[in-house]
Amino acid sequence: MSEYSVVGQKLPRVDAVEKVTGAAQYGADVHPAGMLYGKIVRSKHAHANILSVDTSEAEKLPGVRAIITQDDVPSGRRVFATDKVLYLGEPLAAVAATDPDIAEEAAELIKIEYEVLPVVQDVIESIKPSAPRLHGDATKDGPNRRNISSKIKELSNSEADDNSNEIRKLEAELEKYADEVYYNISAESHTEAGDVKKGFAESDVVVEDTYFIPRVHQTYMEPHVSVASADSSGKITVWASTQGPFAIRSGIAGTLGIPLTQINVIGTTMGGGFGGRFGVIITHVPAVLLSQKSGRPVRVQMTREEEFLDGRPAPGCVIKLKTGATKDGHILARQALAFWDSGSVSGASIGSTIRVRGVYKIPNIKVDAYGVHTNKSGTAAYRAPGAPQAIFAGESQLDDIAEQIGMDPVKFRLMNMREEGDAVPAGGSEPKVGYKETLEAVADAAGWWDREADDNQGWGVAVGDWTNGCGPGGVYVSVHEDGSARIFHGSMDITGTDTAITQIIAEILTIPYENVTIRRGDTDSAPYSTGSGGSVVTFTMGNTAKLAAEDARRRILELASERLNTNEDNLELRDGAVHVITADPPKSISLGELAAFSLSTTGGPIVGKGSFARQPSTPALAAQIAKVEVDPDTGRTRVLKLVASQDVGFAINPMAVEGQIEGGTVQGYAWAMMEEMQYGENGNINPGFVDYRVPTSADLPTVQSVIVEVPAPNGPYGAKGVGEPPITPTLATMANAVNDAIGVRITELPIKPEKVVEALKNNGHEA
Amino acid sequence: MKNFEYFEPTTLAEASRLFAQEHAQLLAGGTDLVIGMKAYTETPQSVISLQQIPDLDGITTDTDNGITIGAMTKVREVELSEDVQEHHTALAEGASEIGSIQIRNLATIGGNIAHASPAADTVAGLLVADAQVSIASAEGERTVPINELFTGPGQTVLKSGEIITQFHLPSPASGSHYIKHKIREVMDLAFIGVASAVNLQNGVIKDARIGLAAVAPTPIRATEAENLLKGKIPTPELLQQAGEAAAAAASPISDLRCSAEHRKEMVDVLTRRTLRYALDRATR
Repeated sequence: MSEYSVVGQKLPRVDAVEKVTGAAQYGADVHPAGMLYGKIVRSKHAHANILSVDTSEAEKLPGVRAIITQDDVPSGRRVFATDKVLYLGEPLAAVAATDPDIAEEAAELIKIEYEVLPVVQDVIESIKPSAPRLHGDATKDGPNRRNISSKIKELSNSEADDNSNEIRKLEAELEKYADEVYYNISAESHTEAGDVKKGFAESDVVVEDTYFIPRVHQTYMEPHVSVASADSSGKITVWASTQGPFAIRSGIAGTLGIPLTQINVIGTTMGGGFGGRFGVIITHVPAVLLSQKSGRPVRVQMTREEEFLDGRPAPGCVIKLKTGATKDGHILARQALAFWDSGSVSGASIGSTIRVRGVYKIPNIKVDAYGVHTNKSGTAAYRAPGAPQAIFAGESQLDDIAEQIGMDPVKFRLMNMREEGDAVPAGGSEPKVGYKETLEAVADAAGWWDREADDNQGWGVAVGDWTNGCGPGGVYVSVHEDGSARIFHGSMDITGTDTAITQIIAEILTIPYENVTIRRGDTDSAPYSTGSGGSVVTFTMGNTAKLAAEDARRRILELASERLNTNEDNLELRDGAVHVITADPPKSISLGELAAFSLSTTGGPIVGKGSFARQPSTPALAAQIAKVEVDPDTGRTRVLKLVASQDVGFAINPMAVEGQIEGGTVQGYAWAMMEEMQYGENGNINPGFVDYRVPTSADLPTVQSVIVEVPAPNGPYGAKGVGEPPITPTLATMANAVNDAIGVRITELPIKPEKVVEALKNNGHEA
Repeated sequence: MKNFEYFEPTTLAEASRLFAQEHAQLLAGGTDLVIGMKAYTETPQSVISLQQIPDLDGITTDTDNGITIGAMTKVREVELSEDVQEHHTALAEGASEIGSIQIRNLATIGGNIAHASPAADTVAGLLVADAQVSIASAEGERTVPINELFTGPGQTVLKSGEIITQFHLPSPASGSHYIKHKIREVMDLAFIGVASAVNLQNGVIKDARIGLAAVAPTPIRATEAENLLKGKIPTPELLQQAGEAAAAAASPISDLRCSAEHRKEMVDVLTRRTLRYALDRATR
């Protein structure tokens, strides 16, 4: 039996009824009186100079109430392109009209003259000095930017016969420009520990390869939407579908130069976020500007096509990776060179390249990473930003090493995993984390140790690590005269976090889960809360909720002491009442009675306050095993079994945790097997769900989740953030399973049938 | 979507007259047209529904197992028809590959064909069934063999005001099979589609038909491959030759879904595979 009665239980979500009945209010459900429909006018070219923007025809169209361009942005902060567009779909203007079709027609009537420029979509092409320069000559001079060719050379001096032709070709090309400046580099990140040269020299086996990971979209169900209303006093209300209302408030204030508290952001129920729902200027700022200009509320809602053109997806990248190990299985060195596709702006989780280190004792490691501009929209977070990409390279290569030295891939990983107290290369020492427990749990659950495979079937394993973030939050809890409690806070519910907070409060107040309700306030009313991303909510708001409930309990005991005329030391809160421990016959008073009593006391009602900002987090591991069958003639892969374990610290709601594990694993499967934003000569060519494939329930079996609980010292009840880790290993899990099935190593995702057929043909297979 | 005029004629003649006007579109199940209109890629000035015209839907079987399918028959009905499943398996299998059940309950076989996508899932099955397409207009009626219906992507021999009314599938082959090459298990478009149908007599292939989708500007029959098979006893070598001949008949393009080369290779692989299944069914 658990020592807890509410936390640790599979309880139904607090928002289940409103979701299944359709009562939940999403952004598109918000419709203030007199609302206009906004439409963003987008570039039809991936790279072009803008010669002119003529809105005169559109202004004449009946029903058009406002047209805005960059001229309407008083702060001058870039909201719309003016002289140059850098990607297909980049916003140039926006219109608001009384009807969506009129807005659409008006958008078409805005005449834009372009001077089309050469386009670069590929990071390898873009780093060549001859590539079109996206930001002219205005490249910042980073310390290592002149040395890209030498970095490539450093990694390409082994004799390995691999499929890294792209990198080899690049090496030859860049040789010619050794002293040039590389103009399309947006950022760089370099890490080094130990001496990789020495490590490789001491290794018996050295494997190198180049991995290509495509740009993928978060594909949340609800496209970006916001409704903005500016009243005559200048007060602005924004109903926003966002992961972080407070970040949107400060973002709008900063972009438009409006005082912070003149803006109220109301977060609407979120139709999925995955890290992609923090953007300020995508729809929120245009909606505010249109409302200010028209004097009417305005809704700006993206179509799915607009999501693909102007969303902020996960960056694709090219990672050259090299690993050295001894023949008895000790990893000695690992070196990576990565080019991340940051699109038209900088910022593409390039720092995550270091995750090629994984959770292994690697004494010598070196990582050089660059963000590279291309003619695409900028990128944003997507569920463990950067980790799935880097871990795909790292965990794919581990299997190749294990194969070469003849070791079982699970045993090889177990042998190299860091243990409690081991030095962490970045500093400090390893805390207690269930690395080995988690991998062993998935191996046992999947039947790894006595696995069988028919022809063309194979098993793959991989692990991925991630550490939840942390941030400020505040929670109030009130206890009412009927003994129920109400939570008030400002954080967006993301996949059941409101449920977890509710369970924690019910646990501490010792009242039934059903008697606790939770309400989210807007930024005008609620205490500040960090955004719901980075797996922070259960960790941060869980801790905050605990503090609030403990504060309420203090007041409850104080009231009981006063009411029962006894010292607090004699009192105990249990089963929704305060009991006098030593009383015979038993003596107690219910929370409801205490709440009623509190109203006529000097001290007043029972209101608990929790306020929290940060505590060190503890890493979490996800480990997965897949069994697949590949049709060698058509290249199609079928998943027969998919098992996912995760060290979650403590599962506050195991049902919600399993949902997270399943969801992350399926998203990782999709990235491995089918998802890919494709680019042609003029930008994205698959902006919709016909040719951007997300899986359906017919594509894979039920994911078998295995919960491992090694408590995090600072997590509420030991809980860690659970949302992000499960996507991190799946890309490599799938590639490793395919490799085991048919003996071909796919290094370029997704693992489409055509690539499998091609690789098998190169291996001598005849269909 | 753009404004349009909507008509619900109750006779074919009236529908034909309305459809003969400029910028008119027929509405059958709407699963292609309405999506296009919402995306502003289709902007008809008039939309003519065929739903109030009697006798355009339903499946009937004649005495020698020939089957007639009305153009407004839902794809789901084609998929679930026991007669189609038994006598024209490849067509039932093709119908089962379209979209989701919800879509198949709206989409019609006439719409799937009249849209003239080279990748339509029912087209390979109709090709190997040697379907005859009945066409009506205010001027009268005519019949066109399915392999002469298409002239290019989205293009057919249908003239102004002409409407497909039914498909007649003459006496069936003894075994047929359809395979769609795709990435996603369901709700995907065909990278290519291959259907094969065979008649066996005393272990000899009396007749063979191979239909290919999404490998040429129109759906095509692989006639050279068919001729190779006729009069022969099926062997792995023979199927190999047929596969290669079918691939030679394909003139696919490279696009965002896959390369022309992959399409050609898959024609080879899937021709052999569909023939094996069809022969297997024919000998059962």
